[in-house]
Amino acid sequence: MEEARSELEREEDEEATELLRDRFRLSTISIVEAQAKKSDMEISEPIVACISDLAFKYTEQLAKDLELFSQHAGRKTVNMEDVILSAHRNKHLASSLRSFCNDLKAKEIPSERKRKKASRKEDKASTSVVHIPDL
Amino acid sequence: MDNANTRFDPDLIHAIFKLVWSRTALEREKNEGADPLECEVGAATSKKNRPTSANANALKLSCELLRVFVIEAVERAATIAEAEGVNKIEATHLERILPQLLLDF
Repeated sequence: MEEARSELEREEDEEATELLRDRFRLSTISIVEAQAKKSDMEISEPIVACISDLAFKYTEQLAKDLELFSQHAGRKTVNMEDVILSAHRNKHLASSLRSFCNDLKAKEIPSERKRKKASRKEDKASTSVVHIPDL
Repeated sequence: MDNANTRFDPDLIHAIFKLVWSRTALEREKNEGADPLECEVGAATSKKNRPTSANANALKLSCELLRVFVIEAVERAATIAEAEGVNKIEATHLERILPQLLLDF
């Protein structure tokens, strides 16, 4: 009985994974084709599928990393710092993610705080989790 | 241009993350279920075993990270193909860039 249930669970899990993998592949294809067109290159179909599967595996690994990072910080919710931390081995990648993160924050912050943004970029990064009113 | 098409959908990435996280939460539950003392306080531990979640900005940032990953793969392979003087990316080109790509991400 117990075994049959876990078998069923595993099947459902696999089905869900397959569905997501297909949806993920569609997104990857459009990104890859757009990029290939930009650099005037053709790309053979099996390679697109290959890159897509690679990126999917990377996403699963990323999910595990993010969970561990947030748990280590004593949180149940993943935030932007965790994502940046996952790219810590590559300085360029981390800094590009950092600037993307600042862009996202700038969009949320009302305009009166925007002016001060540049000078406080650094410390805002660390206060993103707990909101500390700094007036 | 058609920017929406050239990036990942945060909902899709969230769905993948949730799948992985619910898998680990289930595993954790099973491990604790093996412990007879923990079995009795199932209601209390169910909160502890709640799967991880993610905030919206973190998901957007993850989408960007994945987009960069895919674009880097194509660009690096394209560079190799170009150096070889062909204008179609084939398996050998991807093979050449794969080790460094995986080290960089």
